[in-house]
Amino acid sequence: MAAPKIIVVGGGLAGLAAVIKIAEAGGNVDLFSIVPVKRSHSVCAQGGINAAKNLKGEGDTTWKHFDDTIYGGDFLANQTPVKAMCEAAPGIIDLLDRMGVPFNRTPEGLLDFRRFGGTLYHRTAFAGATTGQQLLYALDEQVRRYESEGRVRKFEGWEFLSAVLDSEGVARGICAMNLRSMELVTFPADAIIVATGGNGAIFGKSTNSVVCTGSAQAALYQQGAYYANGEFIQVHPTSIPGEDKLRLMSESARGEGGRVWVPRTAGDKREAKSIPENERWYFLEEWYPKYGNLVPRDVATRAIHKVVYEHGLGIDGQPMVYLDLTHIDRATLDRKLEGILEIYEKFVGDDPREVPMKIFPGMHYTMGGLWVDFNQMTNIPGIFAAGEAEYQYHGANRLGANSLVSCIFGGFISGPNAVAYAKSLKPAQGDGGHAQELTRQRALNQQLLSSSGTENPFRIWRELGETMTKNVTVIRYNKNILETEAKIVELMDRYRNINLSDRSQWANTSFAFTRQLWNMLQIGRVIAQGARLRDESRGAHYKPDFPDRNDEKFLKTTKASYDAAANEPRFEYEDVDIQHIAPRPRRYDAAS
Amino acid sequence: MATAARPDAHSSPVGRGVEPLRAGKGHSFLLRKLHSLSGIVPIGAFLIEHLLSNFEALKGPLAYAEQVKFLNSLPLVRFLEVGLIFIPLAYHALYGVYIALRGKANVIYYPWSGNWMYMMQRWTGYIAFVYIIQHVIRQRFMGVSLPEHPGAAFHKVQMELSNPWMLAVYVIAMIAVCWHFSYGIWLFAAKWGITPGATARRRFGYLCAALGVILAVMGLASIYAFVGPNYKNAPDDVMPAQTRLVQPMPPQANLTVEIETHA
Amino acid sequence: MAEKLIQIEIKRQSGPDAPSTWERFEIPWKPGMNVISAMMEIAANPVNSSGQETTPIAYDSNCLEEICGSCAMVINGKARMACTALVDKLEQPIRVQPLTKFPVVRDLAVDRSVLFENLKAVKAWVPVDGTYDLGSGPRIFPQQQEAAYPLSNCISCCCCMEVCPQFNDATGFVGAATIAQVKLFNSHPSGKVLKEERLRALAGDGGVQECGFAQNCVQACPKQLPLTEAISDVTRDVTLQAAKDFLRA
Repeated sequence: MAAPKIIVVGGGLAGLAAVIKIAEAGGNVDLFSIVPVKRSHSVCAQGGINAAKNLKGEGDTTWKHFDDTIYGGDFLANQTPVKAMCEAAPGIIDLLDRMGVPFNRTPEGLLDFRRFGGTLYHRTAFAGATTGQQLLYALDEQVRRYESEGRVRKFEGWEFLSAVLDSEGVARGICAMNLRSMELVTFPADAIIVATGGNGAIFGKSTNSVVCTGSAQAALYQQGAYYANGEFIQVHPTSIPGEDKLRLMSESARGEGGRVWVPRTAGDKREAKSIPENERWYFLEEWYPKYGNLVPRDVATRAIHKVVYEHGLGIDGQPMVYLDLTHIDRATLDRKLEGILEIYEKFVGDDPREVPMKIFPGMHYTMGGLWVDFNQMTNIPGIFAAGEAEYQYHGANRLGANSLVSCIFGGFISGPNAVAYAKSLKPAQGDGGHAQELTRQRALNQQLLSSSGTENPFRIWRELGETMTKNVTVIRYNKNILETEAKIVELMDRYRNINLSDRSQWANTSFAFTRQLWNMLQIGRVIAQGARLRDESRGAHYKPDFPDRNDEKFLKTTKASYDAAANEPRFEYEDVDIQHIAPRPRRYDAAS
Repeated sequence: MATAARPDAHSSPVGRGVEPLRAGKGHSFLLRKLHSLSGIVPIGAFLIEHLLSNFEALKGPLAYAEQVKFLNSLPLVRFLEVGLIFIPLAYHALYGVYIALRGKANVIYYPWSGNWMYMMQRWTGYIAFVYIIQHVIRQRFMGVSLPEHPGAAFHKVQMELSNPWMLAVYVIAMIAVCWHFSYGIWLFAAKWGITPGATARRRFGYLCAALGVILAVMGLASIYAFVGPNYKNAPDDVMPAQTRLVQPMPPQANLTVEIETHA
Repeated sequence: MAEKLIQIEIKRQSGPDAPSTWERFEIPWKPGMNVISAMMEIAANPVNSSGQETTPIAYDSNCLEEICGSCAMVINGKARMACTALVDKLEQPIRVQPLTKFPVVRDLAVDRSVLFENLKAVKAWVPVDGTYDLGSGPRIFPQQQEAAYPLSNCISCCCCMEVCPQFNDATGFVGAATIAQVKLFNSHPSGKVLKEERLRALAGDGGVQECGFAQNCVQACPKQLPLTEAISDVTRDVTLQAAKDFLRA
């Protein structure tokens, strides 16, 4: 039998991890990515990667990592795959180390670990402040090696539009658009792995990269894939507000001793450094004495939100608080955090070694995603998903430094499973649906090109981002979410009246964006509606009207499916696998 | 399957850019390294010798003649001249022009010191190239043959420099050559990995600059010796006796002359 | 209208073979704007300063945090990342054009695949035995890590190549970025198993020898890689390798 042919869509950590496993197993891979894979969003991860290596004599174990992850995710994650991930994590770190990731070291030459939010252990391996970049490069280099051996073909500058499904609904390939020639082509494959990251762009400004639109997941959702736990969006407590995007201030700033505070007096006009200690309110340390500034992200986010909006203590009346590193000496900061401090300096203009940083929560991570089984396969046979694009590892809230490990682990699981699936796949009937899918996608393109309305896609996008950020992030009220749902329906109507200011068929980035926009609207709706239906508070999902977790009704995975006839989502709920750890209340303000 | 992808459908080429590395192919590494090395040894060594010899001119026409005569008395001197001067110099010059023509200087956009030096190295190279051609033709192959008439050396140079245009050419070329050589040493150290660190390069830069200044001052002082007031109107040959002795003599006679002179 | 406007001129080209023209825009100023946000504004309102409808600008960008390396362009004559080009720190009109040494795809988007080809040619990877669990990696002391880390920060933006007078069609020079990666992998305890191959590759046409040491690379690098030091070290190693190969042949 010929080597199975696998298509991987997305060249971030998860996609590359899958590619490596497939190539290693003797499969042939076509790797599709909008951007050159080395420029994928994984480069942005700063802080580190978790693994319970227990190199600090603290008695850390993979079970404790597992427990922290489940607990941090407010018991919404299926426990079996999370347990497997935590058990694999130390081996993954070793592998990355062998691949040449320049992890920080102890004097003895061993891996160094730092503490991160949501745990009491030094469990986070890190490479300066650019861990994601270093990890992505290590995998990119391995893939380049396979590419030069002819095992991998890269299709960079191609955008995934849809899966090619045969008459029985089995995946037989993908339809992709060449972002230069705008040509549509279908590619045959025995199995497809979608590793296309998060969907921050639905919120307009986020800490995500430009390509993180969630478009591929949305396309599959519209082709029949379940989209799970869409309402769980992680808002990072410490982002730097910017005109084009929100830039992340890594959790490692808190991990290395950064303190969050506001002046005790509202509208205090003094320079931060001149405000005496007793007039500063270190509210995280006061409210959460055990974890202090290192409470998990959702807790920190809501605390900052509360201080700003309920206590009215935002700096200078603006929605911002101080993240202060100035009490740590310069040399230590430069050694441990240089990269992230440079980012702040570059984009804001102040030196965070001298002046406390101003930060505010920003949309950061998509816990939800394509529903997958424990083999990482979606409900569409032959389509697998890995990384941020699927929902499996973080439950209702992701722990810091768990994303990198979940990406690589998901890739490592999906790759071999895709190969195994492909090997047992029966040949397709006829052309496997290729001609039909190509025709459908051509028609969609033609429709857009011939639309002569008045709506600018980028303005529709801004409005989508505004309503999503306002009503479906940190604090959620059903009344406001309904407003957002209505707004999205309105935007979908306006989308049909779109005006492409550029109809050319060469490297037309706004055309590609307009296609993504429709998909963003679809998932936006799934997120909003999923949030409205979940009348409880769990992890990152917080409703003041339903402040408690309700395990009886909602210890369930949300599964949205697309009703094409009505053009709207349908929701169903699935029990969560809780066979290893019984759910307990999640509190960081007292002993747990 | 009509709709299936073409195997070469990876990307849409957009015209030719700079080509990738031709890993392990070609000989440009050797040629370039020879160019670099030849600038230090033998050309650089010869330059220092030449400037030191010229410096003798400050002691007057006779000392200068003695120096010229000494050099021409070195064993295998004609072989040395061709093998260690003409050939390396021609190679360094021609390959250097080839290198310079392929670079695209961009100091207008990036007016940084290293970039200026890059451009200066090329311009001083061009100056040296043109200058040395005329210098060799006019001083080595035209007029009185100095190997045979070392005593005529001072006068020959003095006549050349009596033309103010020529004097200007010599002054400019002297500075250019010393610049080219001293920065060349610095480049050599940087590019051969002798001074990899920024601090090492900076310190070595001072050293090279000092060397360049010393060589240029020595060179200019020598020029001054020919045009200054001290040795105005030097005789056209300060060792006329030699002319008679050397010219028709069979090889054995040469020995006698040498013994005489050294005595 | 007291609204503050910013002036920006963008060199546009509809395709690889199309002629290029400068188009001028006036955009409402906002605090903290960078060149990217100016182009986002143009996309949302594609009208040039003469009031004519135009097309959104095609440009490469992704992370907007100067870590993905996408948005390198020539801004006011200098190659740099557009995401860190703060409008308030630039002289106006801001003149933006594509990198000049790489084939233009459209407007400001260029094809920089040559760098990735070069990385392939020098085998810029650690040849691990496999991805299965083989225990921990080699011991690496903090001093070694601190030497390797800066080199590993290269974002493949190609600014070092753009500003290099030697990187052009005539030389086919490999450029500083690739040379730095050779130093990185040659210094890794298991990466160095390919050291000789990498050094031989870099002695090929377009290799280290083409460097003219103008040192623009190190000035232009947005991530402050020690590029000249890498070139120096690698050239020495290439030379020694060539000498060894010659003597052993």
